[in-house]
Amino acid sequence: MAANTDATSTSKELVISRVLDAPRRLVFKAWTEPEQVARWWGPRGFVTTLCEMDIRPGGAYRVGMRSPQGTHHVRRGVYREIVEPERVVFTYAWEDAEGRPGHETLVTVTFAEEGTKTKLTLHQAVFETITARDEHQAGWASCLERFAEYLARS
Amino acid sequence: MPPDRLSTTFAALADPTRRAILARLVAGEASVTELGEPFDMSLPAISKHLKVLERAGLIRRGRQAQWRPCALEARPLKDAAEWLEHYRLFWEQSLDRLEVHLRELQSKRKQRGRKH
Repeated sequence: MAANTDATSTSKELVISRVLDAPRRLVFKAWTEPEQVARWWGPRGFVTTLCEMDIRPGGAYRVGMRSPQGTHHVRRGVYREIVEPERVVFTYAWEDAEGRPGHETLVTVTFAEEGTKTKLTLHQAVFETITARDEHQAGWASCLERFAEYLARS
Repeated sequence: MPPDRLSTTFAALADPTRRAILARLVAGEASVTELGEPFDMSLPAISKHLKVLERAGLIRRGRQAQWRPCALEARPLKDAAEWLEHYRLFWEQSLDRLEVHLRELQSKRKQRGRKH
């Protein structure tokens, strides 16, 4: 399996990349066609219960899933950019029990051709929707990690 | 942790001065004056940052009238770090499933291709 993870350790935000053994247009479709998204989005053992996706800039989506323990989770957001077959950008928030969206993040997924394969890079920005981009250039994730280490020691 | 609480934590952490203040407090309690020393900033400006941190529950302040030491409050930071870790796991497992899905999709296409 061609997997490569670059999580929060050094980067400012959550970044995950992976090389997928499939052509780019296929990977792009797997991210933008509801019937395909319903098959893979969510951790192991989760079942998609609802998948509404209005794939266009400004279009909303709402996807529900049931965990193996039977709890129901709904995520929702708005597509900001749809650039076939290169990039998808959308906001992302989990709903609480009353259907209110929680902390909103911005997810950017890029698809780059690598021969017959596709390198997918997922970037999740945690502050984007709250404050200006420039304000959080100084490694807040590593800052969080340092605190986590500190907490582990104390 | 309620989601709005998490937003408050992240909003408080989004500022480099506030992160630097928190980093300083890892070493132990400090007064407003001590916390302001590394910055080219007035004390009222530092106090404003401290208020944001206090409201977010990231620091607590002593009750002595003159010298109100600030101390780090660990819990919200720990929650924020855990929240990020959950997201990482969520994506990793989703991408595992995406790989399987793409494999199946392509082998089906190949089979269909042979029939024609």
